[in-house]
Amino acid sequence: MKWGLLLGMSTLVGLIIMYEWPKLKPLPKKDKLSFFVLVFMGWFLSLFDLPNLPGPTTMIESLFKPFSKMLE
Amino acid sequence: MLGNEKISAGQMGLLMFFAISASAVTVIPGITGKYAQNDLWLSPIWASIIGYVTVYIAYRLHQLYPKQSIIQYSQTILGSFLGKVVSLFFIFFYLHLTGLIVRGYAEFVVGNFLTRTPISVVMISMVMVAALAVKGGGEVLGRTAQFFFFIFLIPVALMPSLLGSMKLQYLFPVLEHGLKPTFLGAASPQAWFSEVFLMAFFLPFVSNQEKSMRAGMLSVFGTMMLLTIINLFILLVMGRQAGDFLYPVMVAFRYISVADFFQNLDSVVMGIWIIGLYQKISVFYYATVIGTSQLFGLRDYRPLVLPFGILVVIMGFWSVPDQLHVSAFDTFAFPFYGPLVQTVFPLLLLILAYWQKRGQASHAGRTALTDGTES
Repeated sequence: MKWGLLLGMSTLVGLIIMYEWPKLKPLPKKDKLSFFVLVFMGWFLSLFDLPNLPGPTTMIESLFKPFSKMLE
Repeated sequence: MLGNEKISAGQMGLLMFFAISASAVTVIPGITGKYAQNDLWLSPIWASIIGYVTVYIAYRLHQLYPKQSIIQYSQTILGSFLGKVVSLFFIFFYLHLTGLIVRGYAEFVVGNFLTRTPISVVMISMVMVAALAVKGGGEVLGRTAQFFFFIFLIPVALMPSLLGSMKLQYLFPVLEHGLKPTFLGAASPQAWFSEVFLMAFFLPFVSNQEKSMRAGMLSVFGTMMLLTIINLFILLVMGRQAGDFLYPVMVAFRYISVADFFQNLDSVVMGIWIIGLYQKISVFYYATVIGTSQLFGLRDYRPLVLPFGILVVIMGFWSVPDQLHVSAFDTFAFPFYGPLVQTVFPLLLLILAYWQKRGQASHAGRTALTDGTES
């Protein structure tokens, strides 16, 4: 767990929310909800050690492995 | 939600040109060279076929459902639930791709010039610039594309200064091992050409619709010409070595020395390609954000831009520990993944849509007939 990263990401997320809030306020609830869900997703994912975790890229690579053999 | 944004068909074509060629010029010659050896200049020609097909599909789909993007008409064609699942997948596809493009760009910059800069700094700064452009909207993207187009072609104008070190005999023997190596070399570029499907997100904003098909075809043709010229140039300068480098064009421009005065032109070329990559990243980024706002029926897409920026950087890092993995994805997985999502899948949608429309038309015809006989 890197505390610096957590602190940096939290500050960044806070800044983004502060910056967007005035423009977000008059918009409908759906807009606000999707904004906060996306922000939370970004903040949450950044807490992991992503480069060494299996994710979408590894999934797609293993999915197309049988075809990739044609190119090797 | 969408405002009254309008871009011209020409601007859309230029956006598509950047969306394909900006990163293609950096990595494609190296990948193609590995397979096609000294016939690498033929591969972009085969690869462009999928580009023309994709433009045709995107245009036809848009004709059937005017003023709608892929996110909206996939819900009409497949029904509400399945359409939403498909749209979500499309958004994920472009988000993931944007992340990998940003990562590829950052590896390119860090690998060639800023060797001691942390890669996250390069990635975040580019995403911030692209976020500003995306917040500006489609019109801003279209105008920057017009402005940067000629700048982007400067490297082509610099090529003749290496005429002295070009050797025509590198070209021969043409098709030494038959056509097969050139087809294998076309595998990666054809995935790049399928990216022209992004025009499905821009077509609803085009003011002169009748020219949009022509603009799309022209941008595919232009990209094909550019890639062919660059591959030919690389071949004539380096011969079969081209496939051994990761960024062969960069290496070739490093050789340029005119009268011992014009030197280190690789940094100029690098700057110009960063402009192109900015354009490419912002087009992908824009498609992701606008697609999300259309899927959820939001009034304004702009608040979503910055949160998506974080996700783009995260996608660029996720399960990609080093440069090797970026090029492995580009070489082995993307040649199948890209065209499958961006060409084959829209083709299925188009067939379904035709089928539905015909069913409706014949049904309407029958009712009209029965009405006629009854009255």
